[in-house]
Amino acid sequence: MHILLEKTLKNASNYFQNFLIQEYQNPCIFHRIDARIKFISVIIFVILAVSTFELRKLFFLLFSILGISKIFGLSIKKLLLRIWIFTAFSFIIVLPLIFSNSLYPFIFTLRVFISLLAVQMLIMSTNFFELCIAMRSLKVPEIFVQALWLSYRYIIVLFQDIINVLLARESRRVARSSHYEIWKKGGESIGLFFLRNIEKSERLQLAMLSRGEKIVSGDSDFGTLEISYIAIVAFITLWWIML
Amino acid sequence: MHIPDGYLDLSIAALFFILSIAVIGYSIFKLKNEKLTSLFGILSAAIFAAQMLNWPIPGGTSAHYVGGSLAGILLGPYAGSLAMAIVLTIQTLVFNDGGITAWGANVWNMAVVNVFIGYYTYRALQKIDRVLASFIAGWIGITVAAIFAGMQIGLSTSFAYGLSITVPVMGIWHAILGVIEGVITAGVIGYIATRRMDFLEKKETGKKSSALVFIMIVLSPVFAYLAEEVGYSEPMENAAKILELEEMRIFEGIFPDYTFPGFDPYIGALISGSIGVLVVLAISLAIRYAYSSRKNP
Repeated sequence: MHILLEKTLKNASNYFQNFLIQEYQNPCIFHRIDARIKFISVIIFVILAVSTFELRKLFFLLFSILGISKIFGLSIKKLLLRIWIFTAFSFIIVLPLIFSNSLYPFIFTLRVFISLLAVQMLIMSTNFFELCIAMRSLKVPEIFVQALWLSYRYIIVLFQDIINVLLARESRRVARSSHYEIWKKGGESIGLFFLRNIEKSERLQLAMLSRGEKIVSGDSDFGTLEISYIAIVAFITLWWIML
Repeated sequence: MHIPDGYLDLSIAALFFILSIAVIGYSIFKLKNEKLTSLFGILSAAIFAAQMLNWPIPGGTSAHYVGGSLAGILLGPYAGSLAMAIVLTIQTLVFNDGGITAWGANVWNMAVVNVFIGYYTYRALQKIDRVLASFIAGWIGITVAAIFAGMQIGLSTSFAYGLSITVPVMGIWHAILGVIEGVITAGVIGYIATRRMDFLEKKETGKKSSALVFIMIVLSPVFAYLAEEVGYSEPMENAAKILELEEMRIFEGIFPDYTFPGFDPYIGALISGSIGVLVVLAISLAIRYAYSSRKNP
């Protein structure tokens, strides 16, 4: 059990570490659009998706989002790969209702699928720092933005530390201990890991403060790309309303 | 326990957005003169890491370690609820875990209900035994939060399962799995108590504000039920319909019932709403200008 847990933790940490670092390696036109516009447009798409059960509106929205992704250079294959698990999970939950309403599970899953697709467009094309700056520009309270950025930084540090600790444990394990001993030592090492991280983060915080910690942002004006994208989103929204 | 987009009705999602923003806004207000400590960042990161292991629950959503009680005990309810809200925001915006429209409901369950209930349970029981108090706080916090999640999705007509299925499924499963939450919370608090007692020093909270948050927590299912009952129509209109009263208009208004003459009702609502916002904005700016010019003649 504990070996399975350790392996899961190691693989998950590796996955997240890679996910956070390699997220934005293939920039396309969609990456260049201002994060504020992308953020607001995603909220609009999600609201449109969850506020209807009409199939024609849902399909219109689905093809519009897929069309935008294709035109602006996002990989549809990657988008679908990232959301199929959540979509399948939602479908399984509502599947028993197929006997009372044969269409409901499909429409419900389609709503979830479109919402996930819209959010994934933002995630695949915007790094977290840009999102923080966009939120600040959209007047989200300063302390909230600071806390977001602070936590995000520590998440990266923490995952790196988890991988190091697990590797160190693996390399030092020579004898097979009893389950009780492993759990006891495991608990102690979690506590120790937590405290060691707090102390390390205190040193990091002091180092950042001494260098003048600040999120530097500059609000840029919207260019042709942003205005075109706003026009497309407005056109889709109005068409959806009139359908 | 993260509710995705599409599971909640917009009326319920909007209600919990308002309630969550009110509590998180108040927490931010209470923390305005404080510098965010590294404990805040590392605890958020640790909770984020602990939440990444999910397992599905049939008929409901999913289960995982939440950490709301731990955040409340170590940071106090205000910083704790902010830390949890931060974790949930990162999960929504970076990993698509939890929906954008369901953000308010998720924050309400995991950052408000779980944190406040966990914190006050711990405070009430810590004199008996610190480790036992943390265990009960961890267990009760996640269980009550899950019951709230069950209520929100059960009251939403978009999700075809009713309250009779969603609440027991979420509540019972989390009450069982909450034992693990309780054990982890007790383990971490017990260990910290032996090494860094300064992290567990009493966090001051105002009695009035705490009572207000508790009243909001207790009343929120009632609001959710009412939000679902009235849907998008005004409660007053529904009451008038039941009483068979007829409206006698003295003045039709410029945009009657948010419509715009000659346009489709949806577009009319959009145009009249936009004009309304612009008018309010103009008046607010004018008042602000008048006020500031009086202060600085």
